[in-house]
Amino acid sequence: MLGIQQTDAGMPDPGIYFQWGDFLIQFGNLVVIATMVVLFILALVIPFPGRRSRK
Amino acid sequence: MTKSPVSTSWRTRDDIASRPWGGTLREYDLFKELVVGVVVVGLLVLGLSAVFSSPDDPSVTLKSWAQAQPADFVATATAELGGTSGTAGYGPPYNSTPDASQKLGPIDLQSLSGVRLPIDTATDFVISPLQTLPTAPAAIDEWTKASDAQHAAWTTAYADALGKAPDNDPAKVPPGDYGPVPALTGALLAMAQQGTLDPVLSAKGSFYNTDYKASILFLGDGSYFPGLADAQHLTGDQWGMMNETGNYPGQSWLWLFSALYQVEPFKSSPNADVLVVFSMVILTLLLTLVPFIPGLRSLPRRIPVHRLIWRDYYKHR
Repeated sequence: MLGIQQTDAGMPDPGIYFQWGDFLIQFGNLVVIATMVVLFILALVIPFPGRRSRK
Repeated sequence: MTKSPVSTSWRTRDDIASRPWGGTLREYDLFKELVVGVVVVGLLVLGLSAVFSSPDDPSVTLKSWAQAQPADFVATATAELGGTSGTAGYGPPYNSTPDASQKLGPIDLQSLSGVRLPIDTATDFVISPLQTLPTAPAAIDEWTKASDAQHAAWTTAYADALGKAPDNDPAKVPPGDYGPVPALTGALLAMAQQGTLDPVLSAKGSFYNTDYKASILFLGDGSYFPGLADAQHLTGDQWGMMNETGNYPGQSWLWLFSALYQVEPFKSSPNADVLVVFSMVILTLLLTLVPFIPGLRSLPRRIPVHRLIWRDYYKHR
């Protein structure tokens, strides 16, 4: 079950957190990890530059 | 008979490096490249730092704690006097509290260090700082002359009374047999609120200081500082090891370390830290020794991701 947690403890910007059961992740970390996964997939499928001109 | 002089220049030799270059020539300005490189990279660093730099939250100090939650400060100072705080019962390297250390089976790694940084919470966090005041409270004499049993009786009575007082407010505690404890904790609170306790606990008379151990341990014994960490998702049971304050990305590479703290048997174990570290050492060894471990070393053959990356090569093979 997805839950978005936002806390208010009188401190600036408590941040946005996503929770699935015991799994809790901060928005910034989620963006970084998702970007790494996307870059990995792109690196797998995008051909090496200049490969076509190579004989 | 004359001997021809030995040449020290490669230009005069008849090897390939001595022959004149026959290809095209192009002007190259090294100075221009250096200036452009430094300026462009410098602007990029400054610009990206301005936009993406990590948050610089103000430090939490004993002064800010004493001003924000004086009741919690007094309750913590009472626990330090009575030797019932987290630091007082931590075990090595601060003290030799029995059964306080984390163990890996029969191995007691924490106790191997011994008590290298001895801390007597009553003396180091309360009495010694108060003795640095120009007019030290008279209550110090009463405290130092009393027995340990008397200390425990006073601090237990005062801690109970604080717990029952409205808002745990020291001013609303009914009269009782608390000895010098209210005077000592009140004087320490005043000292902290004025901002003089921070330098006394940290610097200990020296001009420069890099040792914040005493202040941080004292802060950690209260509920204010852990409460701030909890609100910012920085505690161990909140994946705090990989979090930064706010929404700034933290140490996401510590995901496995953090993940172990969220699952059993680590989660509820009193030896969680040593168990997690031991598990990470084993996993790191497995990763390091992959080429020598049968089965594990065959994984690339069974999951051929490399064939996808080098698909052209494997297509023509």
